[in-house]
Amino acid sequence: MTETVARTEDALDYGAASGTVFDIGYQRYAGRREGRGRSRVAVFKDGFRTALGFGRGARAKVLPWFFIGVLSAIGLVMAIVAGAANRLGGPGTAERAGLPSHSDFYSFASIILFVFAAVVAPELLCPDRRNRVISLYLVRPLSGSDYILSRWAAFLVVMLAAVWLPQFILFFGLSMGDPDPVAYLRAHWLDIPRFLASGAAMAAYTTTLAMLTASFTTRRAYASVFLVGLFIITAPFTVGLAEEIKGPAGPWVSMFNLTNIPVHVNDVIFGEASEITEDAPARTLGSAMLVAWYFLWTLGPGAVLWWRYRRLSP
Amino acid sequence: MGSVYRLTLRQLTGKWRLAIMTVLAALPVTIAMIMLASSDAPSVGEFEAAILSAMLSGSIAPLVVLAIAAAAFGNEIEDKTLANLTLAPIPRWQIALPKLLATITIAAPFIAASAFATSHVAFLGDARATMAVTVSALVGVALYASAFVWLGLVSAQAIGIGLLYIVLWEGFFSGFVSGVRLLSIRHYAIALMHGLDDRRFAASHHLSFGIAIALSGLVFGGFLLLSVRRLRRMDVP
Amino acid sequence: MSAVIRVEGVSRWFGSVVAVSDVTFDVMPGITGLLGPNGAGKTTLLRMMTGLAAASRGSVTMFGQPVRDNPALYRRLGVMSEHETVYGFMQGREFVRMMGRLRGVADLDAAVDRAIAFVDLADAQHRPMDTYSRGMRQRMRLAATLVHDPEVLILDEPLNGADPRQRVHFKRLLQQLAGEGRTIVLSSHILEEVEQLADTVLLIVNGKLAASGGFRAIRAALNQRPYHVRVLCDAPRQLAAEVVRLRSVDAVHVDPDGAVIVLSKNVLDLQIELPRLAQSSRIRLRRVEPLDDSLESVFGYLVEQ
Repeated sequence: MTETVARTEDALDYGAASGTVFDIGYQRYAGRREGRGRSRVAVFKDGFRTALGFGRGARAKVLPWFFIGVLSAIGLVMAIVAGAANRLGGPGTAERAGLPSHSDFYSFASIILFVFAAVVAPELLCPDRRNRVISLYLVRPLSGSDYILSRWAAFLVVMLAAVWLPQFILFFGLSMGDPDPVAYLRAHWLDIPRFLASGAAMAAYTTTLAMLTASFTTRRAYASVFLVGLFIITAPFTVGLAEEIKGPAGPWVSMFNLTNIPVHVNDVIFGEASEITEDAPARTLGSAMLVAWYFLWTLGPGAVLWWRYRRLSP
Repeated sequence: MGSVYRLTLRQLTGKWRLAIMTVLAALPVTIAMIMLASSDAPSVGEFEAAILSAMLSGSIAPLVVLAIAAAAFGNEIEDKTLANLTLAPIPRWQIALPKLLATITIAAPFIAASAFATSHVAFLGDARATMAVTVSALVGVALYASAFVWLGLVSAQAIGIGLLYIVLWEGFFSGFVSGVRLLSIRHYAIALMHGLDDRRFAASHHLSFGIAIALSGLVFGGFLLLSVRRLRRMDVP
Repeated sequence: MSAVIRVEGVSRWFGSVVAVSDVTFDVMPGITGLLGPNGAGKTTLLRMMTGLAAASRGSVTMFGQPVRDNPALYRRLGVMSEHETVYGFMQGREFVRMMGRLRGVADLDAAVDRAIAFVDLADAQHRPMDTYSRGMRQRMRLAATLVHDPEVLILDEPLNGADPRQRVHFKRLLQQLAGEGRTIVLSSHILEEVEQLADTVLLIVNGKLAASGGFRAIRAALNQRPYHVRVLCDAPRQLAAEVVRLRSVDAVHVDPDGAVIVLSKNVLDLQIELPRLAQSSRIRLRRVEPLDDSLESVFGYLVEQ
């Protein structure tokens, strides 16, 4: 219809029975083309949205937000309990009584963080491979390593939010619960960089292991169960074994308790053992060894993950 | 029913899966043997808490069953092949039951062998204790299978929910909220173990044997019925 | 002759999206084509006819019985969905055999042989289905659908992805089956397929039944109805006076807001004559639009050229 009118208008203008045909068919995109950086950011954003369930209806949001809620609730409860103790026994009671605080948070929350990672991380990697959509990514100016780096970064950001938010809530709660919040802040401000570092260590470790596991299978379900199994089965296994094996082998067996690896780093940062790792034989090996072990178990899997995706082609 | 049963067996077994399950089944046995070989034998309480409770019934058994059971219907729904079964002129229970039985057929031998070997080694050949542990492990497998098969049918997030149940509900809350134990499959299995061999496993604050049996039957049958109901009422992809 | 399938007042919505809206029709033996653009609601409607999905409102009955929650009906019904719903690890023959056994077919091996011969896949039947080409998978699925010799066949886009040779073969198969007295409902968004195969056509547009009946009868019926076309120009009364002289125009009236409404049974000719008329009368046309919105798609589908 548009063409008809156009033709008519044209014909009327010149008063002759002539016509013009306007080519309004397929036109190539002639605008600006962004580079590789833009592709990486796009994959990152998509990963972030997928992890938190944005743009996919209410049901996709339930699990990730539930986990974040539970973690925040733990932080809140810890703050309330400490506040109550302080109110009953005077300021400083919570600390003196050894109530759980920032340094203990990750030992409590670690299993929840692991399950969170186990359930959500495969969503970022497995469906793309299962539905063979990954080829569509790789024909763009995006290499396999770009893809995995962006996805890893996206999930890391989500994990950082999950590990830092509760700690901030706890800090806020503790400082508000103190009769003199400013004094509390001045006395305890070092806690902030400590829990930020410790949280980052936890997040990086969990993200990397979760994604590595997800890269081995195309069904999300198997990746999730395997990852959780890895954590909650090695824990009692190594604990039981370490107790039985006396001598130098004991602490090393305890080092293979995967749930404790980032918690040891947490202990090193805070300078004190948390409740769960107090008795771990691994502690006898010294801080330097524990931190090095952590890096081995984060950078090692990270390298394998990168290598697996690097050699993918469309 | 045989067709659905055999089909499910084929769908859910595979080299890698069987290999992983063998390794997992061997873990508690290994620990038991090492424990025995090293110093003095640990007390029943210690052994029960660390190995049987935490490892076997707390993590290995439910995880293995979750992976298999949630996939029984979950894979069919994801691959959109469920219609092949529902478009057959058979009552829905003849689809749900074989799926459940196939799940149990795959998971049970590994768990049972693990439980049997572990307790045989740890209790130095005591037949009654061994039988108690093995039977309760099998009951646990059946119950988890029934619940997770239903979960895989009902939700696309079956694994996430199943993991939350295992880790948070049974692992975390049941440790200090006693009411939760009434709704925890793991605790039914533990109570059965105590009931079958009360000389060795002293009944403490667990459920009574009778109630555990009744609840077990209820849970198994209840989830099976729920699965049948769901098959009749759902939109099949 | 009573209807084999009866669909009465059926609607289906998903939240706030209405996929199928108040559809009523009967299906008789022979081939019925369900035609419509993508997203029109054909698949949803077919799923409700097979009992795979529930209707939000209305009822679907087959042989006088409800299709929903009625497994016994599947003895007489064969369904082929649009998804490739096969078990890749199975051999073709195994798959057809399993489907046959589930449907209680007596003399299973003979039935399987017949079904596989019918789709001409006897040489490939012992290979796993994930080694098949797409067309072969479609045909093996058809064999599985036919193995229990159903009276009713419901096929969702059965020619999806089939190459021309397979299309010809498939059409012959369907015509043979229909000739044996079966009832076949097949859906498609391709006009020629339906035109060549179906005796009866059901046209679904936007979830509603836009036309039903014999193919030629629909065309004739369409030709009986004049279309309303709204024209905006700078000299409405003059245009109206000129336009009413055209042979393709049945009636003309002028709206209070100055639009000229033209009733025409032959919009094709009108499309050519109107601009010519406007040009020769030196009237500037500003807008020409059809008012029968739903029929525009019908128009595009059922009238060639």
